Amino acid sequence: MHDVYQFVSGPLAWVAFLLFIGGSLYRIIAMLAEVKEKEPFIFTYMSLKYSLRSILHWITPFATYNWRRNPVLTVVTFVFHICLFACPIFLLAHVTLWDEAWDIRWWTLPDAVADVMTVIVIACCLFFLIRRVTQREVKFVTYPSDYVILGIVAAPFLTGFLAYHQWFTYPVFMILHVLAGEVMLAAIPFTRLSHMLFSPFTRAYMGSEFGVIRKSKDY
Amino acid sequence: MKKGMTIIAGAFFLAAFMVLSVQSQEDMAEVDPSVFMNPQRPAAVFKHDEHNETAGIEECNECHHVYEDGKLLEYESSEDMRCGDCHGLEAEGNMPSLVKAFHGNCKGCHEKQKGGPIMCGECHVR
Ligand code: HEC
Ligand code: HEC
Ligand code: HEC
Ligand code: HEC
Ligand code: HEM
Repeated sequence: MHDVYQFVSGPLAWVAFLLFIGGSLYRIIAMLAEVKEKEPFIFTYMSLKYSLRSILHWITPFATYNWRRNPVLTVVTFVFHICLFACPIFLLAHVTLWDEAWDIRWWTLPDAVADVMTVIVIACCLFFLIRRVTQREVKFVTYPSDYVILGIVAAPFLTGFLAYHQWFTYPVFMILHVLAGEVMLAAIPFTRLSHMLFSPFTRAYMGSEFGVIRKSKDY
Repeated sequence: MKKGMTIIAGAFFLAAFMVLSVQSQEDMAEVDPSVFMNPQRPAAVFKHDEHNETAGIEECNECHHVYEDGKLLEYESSEDMRCGDCHGLEAEGNMPSLVKAFHGNCKGCHEKQKGGPIMCGECHVR
């Protein structure tokens, strides 16, 4: 068990982070290169002001027409993304491992708060799942891969929760958790989770196109 | 006579109380985390004497060490002190912070010797 844990939390963690960082850089550079080749004029009207205007509106709850249209979905979406990022980044256990490996540390959440955020993420994943299964207009645009992505995101939280509480067989869930986290990191650049990388660019482009060319708003 | 008995009985109970309340490593079953401001984890299990016997650790100063000018003193030991008497909650120079002193000492040896727990929940048992 210890050899497995040391392998997944050592060499395999390196592989996962290299795939995540390297893959993300590759996808962003490839995207910019493609725009430069196919539609280089886009760069001529990119505007910092309209880019930021669009991004700021879209990261503020209810600041866009779209966010006001379905308030419940909007609240769940925002709460979900905040917990999804804040919980693992500021988790005491994760920072402890960074500190021991690299001698770097930062502010951490109390474990009890992180635990509640974990439950929130799992609940939001269930909400998204039920929505996909029951709402006809969502079901219509759902591919099997959407369920896979939802599972990839939920898995580190579910297994992390079980490991933290030491339910069932602790070492097994601890190892599964590390594996699940690594699968998620590695999947970000190569699946639709890449919206994490591309959404700022999409908003910047839309904001500039609407602001400069169409003289209107994209929110 | 009655007064004498009371004094003797009192002295007896006082002595018993003192013997029982003196901390000894023999019956230590976990490392006391109360030196940390607001402990987040259950106390780490550590049956002091039993552990050191099964792990075959001969020297007390394997853990209860003493440094002078950055040099480990081979024949000195500090079992009359707690780790937290020297190690602060933040690192100072070469001296690791208290959490890292514990983790470095315990987990470090377990990893090196391929024996003993290395996952959080194996030491911080709920
Ligand atoms: C594997 C590491 C290790 C070894 C080896 C070790 N100790 Fe300890 N000992 C500890 C730790 C950890 C504590 C708790 C310190 C603290 O709370 O700051 C402790 C505490 C103590 C205490 C205080 C007990 C209490 O309850 O406060 C005494 C006394 C002690 N050890 C004596 C010894 C003696 C004598 C030896 C050698 C025969 C020895 N130790 C070997 C790790 C060790
Ligand atoms: C008398 C003061 C003192 C006490 C008591 C003490 N330490 Fe240390 N410790 C130091 C100093 C000083 C250093 C820094 C050594 C250097 O300069 O590299 C250190 C370094 C360490 C290190 C990193 C280097 C190494 O030796 O592996 C660990 C781990 C450690 N201590 C664990 C502990 C533990 C666990 C205890 C309690 C059982 C303890 N210390 C008790 C003074 C102390
Ligand atoms: C110098 C090496 C060394 C140090 C330091 C050390 N351990 Fe161990 N520990 C071992 C070895 C070896 C075993 C495996 C013993 C076996 O079962 O064969 C072990 C086993 C254990 C176990 C399993 C149960 C048991 O008692 O056998 C626990 C729990 C444990 N260690 C906790 C700790 C904690 C907590 C510390 C720090 C305060 C610590 N150890 C420091 C070598 C060490
Ligand atoms: C080999 C045993 C061991 C392992 C494995 C271990 N710890 Fe510890 N840890 C200790 C000891 C001993 C202490 C000192 C005080 C105590 O008993 O909690 C400690 C203290 C702490 C503290 C400071 C006190 C508190 O409760 O806030 C935190 C936080 C902590 N550990 C988190 C972790 C995390 C997270 C992991 C896994 C990444 C981990 N530990 C793995 C032995 C261990
Ligand atoms: C290299 C990859 C990773 C490693 C080595 C790792 C390690 C750990 C460890 C050691 C714990 C503590 C378990 C315990 O208390 O026993 C933990 C908990 C947790 N981790 Fe990870 N993790 C990784 C990736 C991730 C990722 C990518 C996420 C989410 C995006 C994540 C989310 C969580 C959550 C939610 C918890 C539980 C928090 C709680 O319930 O309080 N982890 N992880």
